[in-house]
Amino acid sequence: MFYSKKPKKGKQLKLERNLVTISDSKSIISEQFRTIRTNITFSVTDQELKTILVTSSIPGEGKSTNAANIGVVFAQEGKKVLIIDADMRRPTLHHTFRLPNIDGLSNVLVRKQTVQKVVQETSIVGLYVMTSGPLPPNPSELLASKTMEALLRIVEQEYDLVIFDSPPLLPVTDAQILSHKCNGTILIVDMNIAKKEDVKKAKLSLNNSQAKILGVILNNSALPRNHYHYQYK
Amino acid sequence: MEATIKLSDLFKILKAHLFLIIAITVVSVSIATIISYFVLTPIYTADTQILVNQKSDKKDPYVASSQIDADLQMINTYNVVIKSPLILSKVIEKLDLNSTPETLTNQITILNTNNSQVFTVHVEDAKASQAVDISNTIAEIFKSEIPTLMKVDNINILSYAKLSEHPIPAKPNKLLNIGISGIIGLMIGIGLAILIETLDTRIKSEQDVEDILDIPIIGLVSPINIDKKTSRLKRQTSNIDAV
Repeated sequence: MFYSKKPKKGKQLKLERNLVTISDSKSIISEQFRTIRTNITFSVTDQELKTILVTSSIPGEGKSTNAANIGVVFAQEGKKVLIIDADMRRPTLHHTFRLPNIDGLSNVLVRKQTVQKVVQETSIVGLYVMTSGPLPPNPSELLASKTMEALLRIVEQEYDLVIFDSPPLLPVTDAQILSHKCNGTILIVDMNIAKKEDVKKAKLSLNNSQAKILGVILNNSALPRNHYHYQYK
Repeated sequence: MEATIKLSDLFKILKAHLFLIIAITVVSVSIATIISYFVLTPIYTADTQILVNQKSDKKDPYVASSQIDADLQMINTYNVVIKSPLILSKVIEKLDLNSTPETLTNQITILNTNNSQVFTVHVEDAKASQAVDISNTIAEIFKSEIPTLMKVDNINILSYAKLSEHPIPAKPNKLLNIGISGIIGLMIGIGLAILIETLDTRIKSEQDVEDILDIPIIGLVSPINIDKKTSRLKRQTSNIDAV
């Protein structure tokens, strides 16, 4: 009751903010994403990290924004990165990258399209995006299907890294299904809205699906007062 | 949830809600100040000392001493007599007060040190001069009435109440009130801070995540709309670039 979140600002502003790693690549936040990139790279040593799931406990914690920015920083490192919008309930990735969402993941999963045809290039070199496609009535079943497995095998071969943007963990089961299939899962926790109980439940559901949790990204954490900031030229 | 709070956590809570605590304390102190200075009527006091001593010609020390004992015992009686309507109605009449003996009784306290022949008529009133007048008039009327009442003449007025040039009200004790309200405000503030912290189930720090999840933190992302800060830094850099 004390912490009702302020309504979101205008959409245009949100678009500007979403891809901070491109619009303001020298900012502290971009540097934070590069730190995340490093930490993800070093978090898995025994196996190759090909597929990453980005999820959170409840909606609105910044899954899509984080997934997009992580994809950007990996692409900036020279990797061939594919971001897949696996949120077939409320997709946003096509907004973030301003791409059409005519064909996408759902088309592939119902075998109407091939992976190669629905992957779209972005303005960032090495970064590719697969939008959600038309909203299907049964996203959980589609994600659990054999076709999904086949899709995973294809994209794992073609790309260095595949990042899945998924629905939140607590309301629907989609993320749980995906987390089982992915090499690693990143849990986004928004410090302003995440409740301890919810995050605990989210972790439990990830454990139940035997997901490998790479770690937590704390979103909306205030800048430390004496944060280090230096500029190299 | 753990029932205990670590001392360091407590300090953290207090620091986080410092503004709230200070605000509540300030509000509490200001309310007390306003009430003390503007709402409560100041009460002034006046004291008249009365000596109870029988004028005795006898030189016999034994008789003198028993006389003193008798006087001491009389003081208890005098206490009642002074506060009786008989005296007080005469006081009201003489000073032309807009009061009744009952209300006047509440303004009067008879103070008596143990085994002392002196007792004090202590009067409280909203007007300093009136307190002095009442106190002195009571003493005088009591002195004049007591021979007829008790057939003794052992009352002497030791010292009259005097009206000082700048009377200081005895009540309300402003500093005490403000002090107490400050402490109460501080306590309410601290209590509220702890309550808020207990009811707040959100994740607030990296420590929280480590405590409840046992998952490594791979990154922190600051709010992206801190445009001011980043753009300021950027401007600084671009200035450097220009040079």
